[in-house]
Amino acid sequence: MTNEQMTSSETEPTDDQPAPTPGTDGLTDTADSGGETTTDRTLLEARDLNVYYGEEQALSDVDIEIPEKQVTAVIGPSGCGKSTFLRCINRMNDLVDSARVEGELRFDGKNVYDDDVDPVALRRKIGMVFQSPNPFPKSIRDNVAYGLKVQGKDDGDVDAKVRTALERAALLEEVEDQLDASGLDLSGGQQQRLCIARAIAPDPDVILMDEPASALDPVATSKIEDLIEDLAEEYTVVIVTHNMQQAARISDKTAVFLTGGELVEFDDTDKIFENPEHERVEDYITGKFG
Amino acid sequence: MARKSYQEKLTELREDVLYMSEVVMERLRMGLDALEQKDEDLAQEVIEGDGEINRMYLDLEQDCIDLLALQQPVASDLRFIAASFKIITDLERIADLATNLGEYTMDAERDLFPDVDVQEMGELTLDMLEDAMMAYDTEDTDRCRELAGRDDDLDEFAERASEIVVRDLIERELDSTEEVERILQDVSRLLLTIRDLERVGDHTVNIAARTLYMVENDDELIY
Repeated sequence: MTNEQMTSSETEPTDDQPAPTPGTDGLTDTADSGGETTTDRTLLEARDLNVYYGEEQALSDVDIEIPEKQVTAVIGPSGCGKSTFLRCINRMNDLVDSARVEGELRFDGKNVYDDDVDPVALRRKIGMVFQSPNPFPKSIRDNVAYGLKVQGKDDGDVDAKVRTALERAALLEEVEDQLDASGLDLSGGQQQRLCIARAIAPDPDVILMDEPASALDPVATSKIEDLIEDLAEEYTVVIVTHNMQQAARISDKTAVFLTGGELVEFDDTDKIFENPEHERVEDYITGKFG
Repeated sequence: MARKSYQEKLTELREDVLYMSEVVMERLRMGLDALEQKDEDLAQEVIEGDGEINRMYLDLEQDCIDLLALQQPVASDLRFIAASFKIITDLERIADLATNLGEYTMDAERDLFPDVDVQEMGELTLDMLEDAMMAYDTEDTDRCRELAGRDDDLDEFAERASEIVVRDLIERELDSTEEVERILQDVSRLLLTIRDLERVGDHTVNIAARTLYMVENDDELIY
């Protein structure tokens, strides 16, 4: 299916949201749907979301509403389904043969699992940063430009966009004089920020991060955490982390998944870490379980 | 700067604690003025303003709890937040004592004991509080240690003032039951005023003690 073949006829406004602008890829453009200030408008929404890998259930009846332009952290013990949930959002699980998704995952009101949604187009709007920095064996400039070229946003002003993306990723100052050097020559923390620059170059709406700082030292981690908070001024950030303290430090909302892929509690981060509703969540965050 | 928003929150906490202290000092000044001028309107203003201080205290307490729960502060940051957490309690208590001054104003007689200079004592406590908060702001540990000595002077002042009142009471010849009743009430209020101002001094030393702990990890003034 090509972008041109897609329709947006199934895009419907919800009661409290304005009608989205139809796109040609089955998705909508959220660029004008809000200012650059923090809002409580829901951008991502899961309803009765179940995911199976073969016979094994990885997510169980997940309902969640993730607000726009805020940092939402997803925490939980190993195997709780937090990465599975993240990968559902931009359909990365499509790449796993045994994965089966039931229920709905709405991005700006549109179910991303509808037949008319192109996963590649979806991933332009919902970028991803992985645990280990994975720059291409190319120059710093080309690493960032790659995101623009592949995703069809190379309109001739690549250099300016590369610099903007590097600046937003808090890396430009450190690499300004070596844009033609290999991305692989950078430190681990710089490589991860390069990957973030690559992810934000096409100007997505959402940035998914899967343990983005777990392979970094404390100083590099600090820089990434600062960056994540800054990014939330323009993007909706969903971060999976096994580091509860990191979730506490940087997120506005926290989702706690526990065994069996169950979303046990989702609330403001200060509520989760100061007075959670569920005893199981209290046990998990205080280290009595997990 | 690493952990930028965290550093900003620490700066905000410091500024908010200093702001609270300015409001508390203003209330203490108003309480003393009300007492001196027998100004019941001013006294009422101090009494009604206590709710604002309590809200400030609760907000700052929550800010400290949030920082502890969400930011996992360590070392000097941890000591700063712990010290601030304690200092806002002392400030809130000082504001309560300022409110007491307002309440004493509402029903006190005047000039029964001209030899007791409550205003001078009040000025001493205000100066101490101002210096304690300056020490907190500038992390001036010399000033903290010096404040402990000044509190001893304040305690002596309070003791002498109480003695004057009690001695005067004993020596005074009272003719009627009404007069006895009136002077006992006034003595009681004056002794309470002296005690409250002496307690402001104690809270001020607490602030200095927590500041010393915050800056040097030294608990010498904490008792």
